[in-house]
Amino acid sequence: MVNVTHLEAERKNCISETTMMELIGEMLKLTVLAGLTLAGILVILIWKKGLATKVTYLRFLVQVVSMVAVFYLFTYPVWQLIVLIVIFVLPLLLGRFFCGWICPFALIMDAITLIRKAVKIRYRLLPDKLNKFLHNFRYVLFLIFLIIPFVLFLFDPPSSFDTSFLLAMLLSGPFEPLRILVGPLIPLIVPWEGPLAISEVYFSYPYVQEVILYSEVVFSGFIVNIIAWIFVGLTFVGSFFLRRVWCRFCPTGASIAVVNRFKGFKWAPLLHIDKDEEKCTKCGICKRVCPVQVTEVYEQKAGKITTSMCTLCTRCVEMCPYEDCLKVKMGGKTVFRSRNWLEPSTIE
Amino acid sequence: MKKQSKEKKYMPEISQKEVQELRKTITTTSQQIIAENIRKMKKTDPNRPEAMKYFDEIADFTKREKEIRAAKQEGKKVIGYMCLFAPIELILAADAIPVRVNSGWYDASKLGDRVVPVEVCPMVRSTIGAKMIALSPYLELSDTLISALTCDGMTKLGEVLSDFKPVWAMTIPRVKDTAQSMRLWSEEIKVIRGQIEELTGNKIRGKQLKSAIELTQKATKAFRRLQELRKGPPVIMGRDAMLVNQTYMWDDIERWTEKTEALCDELEERISQKNWACPPDTPRVMLTGTPMIWPDNWKVPTLVEEANPQGILVADELCSGERLLYDPVGVDEWSMSDMLNAIAERYLMASTCPCFTSEDGNEDRINWLLNKIKEWNIQGVIYYVIRGCMLYAMEYTRVKKVMDSKGVPVYYLDTEYTREDVGQMKTRIEAFLEMLSARIDL
Repeated sequence: MVNVTHLEAERKNCISETTMMELIGEMLKLTVLAGLTLAGILVILIWKKGLATKVTYLRFLVQVVSMVAVFYLFTYPVWQLIVLIVIFVLPLLLGRFFCGWICPFALIMDAITLIRKAVKIRYRLLPDKLNKFLHNFRYVLFLIFLIIPFVLFLFDPPSSFDTSFLLAMLLSGPFEPLRILVGPLIPLIVPWEGPLAISEVYFSYPYVQEVILYSEVVFSGFIVNIIAWIFVGLTFVGSFFLRRVWCRFCPTGASIAVVNRFKGFKWAPLLHIDKDEEKCTKCGICKRVCPVQVTEVYEQKAGKITTSMCTLCTRCVEMCPYEDCLKVKMGGKTVFRSRNWLEPSTIE
Repeated sequence: MKKQSKEKKYMPEISQKEVQELRKTITTTSQQIIAENIRKMKKTDPNRPEAMKYFDEIADFTKREKEIRAAKQEGKKVIGYMCLFAPIELILAADAIPVRVNSGWYDASKLGDRVVPVEVCPMVRSTIGAKMIALSPYLELSDTLISALTCDGMTKLGEVLSDFKPVWAMTIPRVKDTAQSMRLWSEEIKVIRGQIEELTGNKIRGKQLKSAIELTQKATKAFRRLQELRKGPPVIMGRDAMLVNQTYMWDDIERWTEKTEALCDELEERISQKNWACPPDTPRVMLTGTPMIWPDNWKVPTLVEEANPQGILVADELCSGERLLYDPVGVDEWSMSDMLNAIAERYLMASTCPCFTSEDGNEDRINWLLNKIKEWNIQGVIYYVIRGCMLYAMEYTRVKKVMDSKGVPVYYLDTEYTREDVGQMKTRIEAFLEMLSARIDL
């Protein structure tokens, strides 16, 4: 390692900026290649061990692939608009499917959960009340992120000002308030010059850019960096002890969750979990395995589970041991159902 | 160890001679009854599956008794349990042998009358009686008993039996789905784990517990496979399936699973040949209510399947039957604490025992019945209650109401631990089955 960094430092002196970017590009390609190879190995494993029914593996696969996709998406300038549209339109159809299956931040948290599982430490549970409070707190968080830029703007107004400027600021102003929605999409390593750099490899992290931007208002210099690292550390430690800790109050989740609260949108989301009362023995497995501690699947008697806390990770459907008791329905059509589950899993 | 000379709290003085005599007569009749029941089962279905041979063998207690005795000599401990709330995964993980010790002997219940009044649940009386004359090999061989304080009878039974053996009581919260109940029950599971570890001298570690859980999961899988096969036209007589189910209470679980899978293989072959155990239009009956325990308390299933017109039992909701194995332990993460949590939840929350209540009553049981009726295509329900079983008797009203709304006939069958009412019961059951077949013809 020492040699490599030494060599790199030497190289850095003699190569120009453009070749540096090319080098990073090459590294990215290798990373993607490695990621895809891993995904391929996973597919073979799933196919060979007959684990295709195990949705957890499938979800990991989808997460890894979409992480790679997001990574590339971020190299194009239009990504932000596309992603914003997706975030606003997708929930009508798929609910928080995005949160459970695509979000790279969730993948980071799931990976940390895997580490925790490997060292056999049990997760902690939040009290249900606190969890529900956090669930509502996301709206507050979202509002704060929306309002603060305007407040700051009042303190420090720019020289030229018109209404279109406000709109522009919402999308691409100094604090890019709407970026809060794409925050979780930022993967760990970014192709552009990320906010945290370690020996020429740029790291980014969900929300770390926002954290830096906002703390720069008050602090400056390396304190900002320290705050950013504290944020990263907190979320790491948090997701080590609490499964999917950020999902519980993620502002992106708020935008997705808020849609099906309106009256005309009772049909939304089309993708949802459905419960059959007669087949349920209330064994409580669905409640226990839920990474965001949704209690509605257990408590609700039957029918469509409408809670916006649910990220549709379908872990409960996968673990429910009663055939057809829990189903994932897409507009009335069953796409996935609980099975006569009893395969003792050997991997997890 | 406990003090040897302990004063007997409940047990009357019985002369050794009398005990010997009673033991001899009852054991002989017991052997006869086992043989008789198996003979009857063979008679009803002359074309019985080959794989049932093993279960016949295990149903006769002597084989398993020898095995357990041999295992005990090697230093293994035997832990008996009276309600299915005892966490057998923990027992297995500590390398001990779990056996259920409830008694189904009619004659022994008369003996139990000497200790407790006749109004008491006959199963409790019978278990006391069986202990008095050392009738049940499993009760005799067990080093300790786990008594879950479910119904009133079970609560006091543990106390009575503590005259003979150390009894570990487990308090069952009566409301099963609240957080505080779960806390209490989890503590109970932890305590029982400590007690099991102390008795056996083996520490229960994650690895052992995991393999124990997987063992019972496999057993559940085999059992469910058998149940699935009973959904279609009758390929196995209900009594045979019930016997398979019962033997789980004392058999070696690994072997039991293997044999059950073998039975299922054979049945699948029979299904492909359309080789039915009885005509496919036989009325399909479900049993629910008080546990029925081999060998003696086999009265009702025998009567139903030997009646004219014949009925076939395709499902049951008995804690000596399907409830033993219906729910698996669902582990999320294989860490020790999560496994313990999963075990605690499986035993408490999934249970449909009428000793529970909740905000909306014991609706889990109703849902179970409704699901069975729908999935197993059940045409009539026999609600079996032995006298003195308050909880099941009281829930009848609720079950009847729901069944009426679904148009499924329910028949309340109350009886005792006695052979005297067989004739009368036969008439009652036949009338019910007659009605069912008339409904089918309509």
